[in-house]
Amino acid sequence: MAKKYIFLTSAFVWMIFLGGCDEIPVKLADPVIPDSERVVIIEELSGVSCPNCPKGNTSVDNILAKFQGRVAAVSIHGDFLSKPTAKSKFDFRNQKAKDLENWFKPWFGKPSASINRVPDENDILMNSIPDLWQAAVEKELQKPHILNIFPEVKFNSDSKTIDLNIAVIPLESIKGNFNISIFLTESEIIDAQTNGADIENNYNHKHVLRDMMTNFDGDFFGNDLNKNEILRKTYSYSVSPAASTLWKPANMEVVIIIHHNEPKDESVIQTSYLKLIK
Amino acid sequence: MYKFFIILFTFFTTRAFNQDQGIISGAFETNANVFLRDSSINAINTPQYDRQFFGGEAWLNLNYSTKDFKIGTRFDMFNNSNLRNPTDSYSGIGIGRWYVQKSLGQVEISVGYLYDQIGSGFIFRAFENRPLFIDNAVYGARVKYNFSDNWNVMAFAGKLKNAFDTYTGNIKGLRVEGFVSLGSDESPFTLAPGAGFINRTISDENMAGVIDALRTYLDEDRFIPDHNVYSGTIYNTARYKEFSIYTELSVKSKDIFYNPFAMKKEIVGNSTGKLEQRAGTVFYGSISYAKGNLGINFEAKRTENFNFRIDPNQRLLRGLVNFLLPLNRQNTYRLTARYSPAAQDISEMAYAADIRYKFSKSLSAALNYSDIRTIEGNALFHEIYTEIIYKYKRKWQLTSGLQLLSYNQEVYEMKSEVPLVKTIVPYLDLLYRFSSNRSLRTEFQYMDTKQDFGSWIFGLTEYSIAPKWNFEVSGMYNVKPKKVNSKGEIEKIFYPTLGIVFIKDSQRYSLRYVKQVEGVVCSGGICRLEPAFSGFRFNMTATF
Repeated sequence: MAKKYIFLTSAFVWMIFLGGCDEIPVKLADPVIPDSERVVIIEELSGVSCPNCPKGNTSVDNILAKFQGRVAAVSIHGDFLSKPTAKSKFDFRNQKAKDLENWFKPWFGKPSASINRVPDENDILMNSIPDLWQAAVEKELQKPHILNIFPEVKFNSDSKTIDLNIAVIPLESIKGNFNISIFLTESEIIDAQTNGADIENNYNHKHVLRDMMTNFDGDFFGNDLNKNEILRKTYSYSVSPAASTLWKPANMEVVIIIHHNEPKDESVIQTSYLKLIK
Repeated sequence: MYKFFIILFTFFTTRAFNQDQGIISGAFETNANVFLRDSSINAINTPQYDRQFFGGEAWLNLNYSTKDFKIGTRFDMFNNSNLRNPTDSYSGIGIGRWYVQKSLGQVEISVGYLYDQIGSGFIFRAFENRPLFIDNAVYGARVKYNFSDNWNVMAFAGKLKNAFDTYTGNIKGLRVEGFVSLGSDESPFTLAPGAGFINRTISDENMAGVIDALRTYLDEDRFIPDHNVYSGTIYNTARYKEFSIYTELSVKSKDIFYNPFAMKKEIVGNSTGKLEQRAGTVFYGSISYAKGNLGINFEAKRTENFNFRIDPNQRLLRGLVNFLLPLNRQNTYRLTARYSPAAQDISEMAYAADIRYKFSKSLSAALNYSDIRTIEGNALFHEIYTEIIYKYKRKWQLTSGLQLLSYNQEVYEMKSEVPLVKTIVPYLDLLYRFSSNRSLRTEFQYMDTKQDFGSWIFGLTEYSIAPKWNFEVSGMYNVKPKKVNSKGEIEKIFYPTLGIVFIKDSQRYSLRYVKQVEGVVCSGGICRLEPAFSGFRFNMTATF
């Protein structure tokens, strides 16, 4: 009996001893981001009927504000939780958004975001924790800048056509196959958004993917890029009559990414973005 | 796979060199699903419906035990399975579990993947729940010392299992349990006290994730995170004559967890949901009385900030260290079980009462009441459930009653601007025996509700030829539909099930054609969204 009480007492003392230990505090220090021309893309899966998606939108806003000019965003409203709410005026869903949403699978839920299409340790492109997107962006910004994209865009408001000229200059020779994806996005769209238990009527939707000037998974760009060898591409896009009444070109952006096109590597090597109308 | 053969080899060499031949036992279970795309019920847009068409799982347990020695292993296979993520496909094959246990007098030593719990599981429960892809075994070592027949202490340390891998954080714990008899034979009074302690240490890798998140917070929401959390619990079951009282008090030191309801300050405005570091508590008590034909049970539970994970970056069912007991009635009929609440870990105050009375050999009745709110008083779940059972000789048995329920979809399913779901469900279950081995069972339920999917009707007929065959036909029909389908139309949809079950010795085979409405599946106090199902389901279990 005495043994039992000795043991129980010592166990209790052990618990108090451990509970009373103070840890050396960790430091919440930001990493050093090198000053370069590398630009990173956030492709965010969102939806107007998604209660948690405003949290993802806020996280993207904060990242864009913190790394101005270094990050581009595309908000993809595909199928899941993207059906307009009872109070919505617009439907943001389109075929390219649905195809991209499927292409990014598997993902656990919304909001989710892919940063430069770099997979995590489980080989998953989509990160479903918005609080961790900034760290992923920082990690990408720390990587070397190896390619420049120089885009030039002209929007003809009469014919509703977009003409895009792109010049690409690799800063070093890069092996592999590469695709180009060009997104048309629109911001400042005021419409309903589910937010937690409420529906906000006048939510400001930003970077909404309207369409793509390429296939959803990109068009072939080239392979084995040589250092300083200039590559040029020209794209033309006609805005459909239905879209031309809805879209506001003044609030639109063209986002261009050059990305690997290998079975196990779809990562983005450089992003460029510019306003549709300067 | 080589591990499997090593363990099998160990089995048989152990047998060969052991004079005590021991016992080999095991169990096999498999699920095989054929997915048939049906856009009218939203059975679309998952890899299984789009291109894989088949998904399944299999588990084989093998155990060998002698008087003081046990070893065991489990083969797991997931083949395009939708268990891990209902909207995705998961495949993996390997050894899901192995363990070795040896008794040395008063000491019992175990290593491998171990299941155990402390008290009711509020601070620690390592368990398996296959339908929800939960396998929280501790991969480590455990020592149990029996001081006497009535008192023992158990200590363990290890890592928490994560599919075929482990989480990187560490966990260790201690439990002391005993039994004391204080009364006399005429007036027995017994106590079964216990106490437990758990320490979890976040790995550096997981802490980096926490720091990455906290760096993005404004000063108002930032905190200095601790790697360690300490959690303790004391519990006791007191029995005196017809009364039994169980109490458990659990506390947790400041711990990092994600609070989906907390306001986070942003540069402009606020957002909802953030990491917090707070202490937590769970207080639970139940009192029961049983004498003659009367049985009464009353329970209460208060939970505050008791989300306890091995890694604070995990969400939903992943990385859970503990288990929070649900207080609501665990219903089994299709429509009475349709809205079932998950235990809330941030803020919950729950009460439940159950009264049963047997009027005679043929007639009994039960009344169950549960009420669940947040600590602040917001209504979450409320249920009144009545049941009357009437048996006529051995010829037939009637079970009937009424369920009145309200359910907060905003909290349990994160749906926006939806009212409380209020339902009234009368149900009836009639079992008729034609002979000693042939019987017919029919079920009928009607759910009246103006919310969510609208009103439902459900009927089932089950014909049994004991002991081998069972045939069932059931259907669920949305009589007053409220939801639009994928085509944007409100449609009255019929969800049929046809099934056949064959039982031979310890083997059970079932094949069903199922159309199942999407919903939230809750099991053991944990819920998740379950997409609609359309297709065939085959299940087989065998024990040996």
